[in-house]
Amino acid sequence: MTEQTSMLENRRIHPEEHESYFNLVWRKFRKSRIAIVGGLIVLALAVMAIFSSFFSPYDPVKLNMRSGFTPPSRIHFTDINGRFYGRPFVYQWKQVVDENMYMHWVEDTSTLYFVNFFVQGWEYKWLGLFPTRLHLYGVAEPGTIYILGTDKFGRDIFGRMCLAGRISLAMSLFGTFISVAVGSVLGVISGYYGGRFDNYLQRFVEFVQSFPQLPLWMALAAVIPSTWDQMAVFIAMSTIFALLSWTLLAREIRGKVMAMRETDFVLAAREMGASDMRIIFYHLYPNTLSHTIVVLTLTIPSIILAESFLSFLGIGIQEPLVSWGVMMREAQTIQTLGFNQWIIAPVLFILLAVLGFNFLGDGLRDAADPYTIT
Amino acid sequence: MLEYILRRLLISIPLLLGISVVAFIIIQLPPGDFATAYQQYLINQANMSPQEAEKAANEYRKIYGLDQPVPIQYLRWIKGIVTEGKFGYSFAYKQDVAQLIAERLPRTLFLALAAHLISTLVGIIIGIYSATHKYSLGDTFATVFAFIGTAAPRFFLAIVIVYYLVIQVKYPYVNRFVSPQYAFAPMSWEKFLDILKYSWPVIAIAGFGGVARNMRVMRANLLDVLNSQYVTTARSKGVRESLVVYKHAVPNALHPIIMYQGTVLPYMLQGELEAAIVLNMPSLAPMFYSSLVNQDIYVSGGFLFIYSVLLVVGNLIADIMLSVLDPRIRLGQ
Repeated sequence: MTEQTSMLENRRIHPEEHESYFNLVWRKFRKSRIAIVGGLIVLALAVMAIFSSFFSPYDPVKLNMRSGFTPPSRIHFTDINGRFYGRPFVYQWKQVVDENMYMHWVEDTSTLYFVNFFVQGWEYKWLGLFPTRLHLYGVAEPGTIYILGTDKFGRDIFGRMCLAGRISLAMSLFGTFISVAVGSVLGVISGYYGGRFDNYLQRFVEFVQSFPQLPLWMALAAVIPSTWDQMAVFIAMSTIFALLSWTLLAREIRGKVMAMRETDFVLAAREMGASDMRIIFYHLYPNTLSHTIVVLTLTIPSIILAESFLSFLGIGIQEPLVSWGVMMREAQTIQTLGFNQWIIAPVLFILLAVLGFNFLGDGLRDAADPYTIT
Repeated sequence: MLEYILRRLLISIPLLLGISVVAFIIIQLPPGDFATAYQQYLINQANMSPQEAEKAANEYRKIYGLDQPVPIQYLRWIKGIVTEGKFGYSFAYKQDVAQLIAERLPRTLFLALAAHLISTLVGIIIGIYSATHKYSLGDTFATVFAFIGTAAPRFFLAIVIVYYLVIQVKYPYVNRFVSPQYAFAPMSWEKFLDILKYSWPVIAIAGFGGVARNMRVMRANLLDVLNSQYVTTARSKGVRESLVVYKHAVPNALHPIIMYQGTVLPYMLQGELEAAIVLNMPSLAPMFYSSLVNQDIYVSGGFLFIYSVLLVVGNLIADIMLSVLDPRIRLGQ
């Protein structure tokens, strides 16, 4: 007791000597290069999703049938005569018919269009608030630039990938958030009170865990009526993903809380008359947080993968909602893919997102426990 | 041991009953039923008047019991499964779901288990190599490969393989499980090879993620074990390095791999599900998908149920295996 009070006094006298838990975590996290890379990837994707209109030179939802399935624009620095320009430019694609009556795309080398940065284009609302026309890149009219080609309806795939990131990332975050909230609350309560509630909950967790994840997700997603409005579909899908993901966290946190329940600091708190609520939320829960964060970064990629697969099959998320999986739907028909390989470009963002979160999770796992010295 | 297995089996019964209830509720959730689709079909394709079509649809409902309340329908369904081994009638395939399952379940099991076996073997071998050649070029390559294996959506890998096989090399062995001439032939070496010609892409895709997982686990464990004192002792005694690795270190590093065999089976089944749907391999997977789209409810429900049974059985087998291999683990805990 005297030791504790003297420690408290020390803290009051030298507040600057005490480093908070998050400072310690950050110090350790910073050292892991791969975790930083993962964090940057996730950050970049999030920025592209939030400011998707800024990154897409053309309106990603406006149909433009005449330029359907245009191949990705090639970025050139030298023209066909070998003349070098100091800045990137693109040619337009045009369709020609060869002697076998096959359609081919060839570059129309008669005019070149320089790629300009921070150009004025279609109007949108920045963060849904201020109307603006500013875009990262573009070419002068009547030229067009599609750095990853266009889809069936002539919409810029790169711009749509950025837009789709909103749904894909937000849904995985939201679903993970629900599952973390449910899992940690149930886990803490079950571990703290034990007894009959704990017993029932553990049987229920076992029951939920005995369901095959992907088939059940598919069955549940197929139930969502196509007449629902976009927000309802979004929430329903997130909930479906959360439904089977919370059990892992609930179990792990329960174990941790059970171990901590008997430790001295909880006993001390109880002796001092702290209520159960205070002990749970003020003393126990913060101690499970490191664990929660790690599970969080590992649940997100699994939801991204599942969501993209379901959307690819056309169950769950549907147009006009656009996610990375929805964008790849056209690739289901192998003939379409055979002629237009660029339509599977959204997989790039799926890969990046999953890798990014995995790297981040690996780094956080090491950093979450900053007190052990390795 | 026998007592433990019996107890586990007994516990599984209420578990499976609960699963069947949930499966049935889910497949009943969407508005309308197969008769509604049938009615639409009669109006649009057979030029029937709406009244007549509705009458026909109602008769259809009566024949297959779709007009009964949901609990009655459930009881009938479960009674059929338990007493006659019938899983209900598939409206789209015009036969009992049990027949469909009997035809396709062995294929799914074969694909998933083959993927499982290969991924475990290959994963362990690459893991051993990576751990003994830490930070070498091969190790770096394997690590990158493992990351891609866990991050790439399996349906994407399936698309790439289909694209390559169908468009690039015009590979003829797709969309089937076995060539027509072997369809009714008894199992033979030639038939097995023929099946492999069709199924290797599914096995490869389902196994790929597993290889990556096993490899990462094996590498990490073996590195831990190789740092332990008894390995140093063995080395200082002058034991050959290959003997140190394969006789002393590897067996101890294998434990975690065996421990999570139970969780690998669902992973393989999901991999098979994704790959088989995209590659249109006639196993359970594509039929499950199309039944969800067509509201062929007994197929969806029956297949969902079978997937759950596989999971429960897989976990049981994994637990038993673990206790056999590691006597320190007490059963029933």
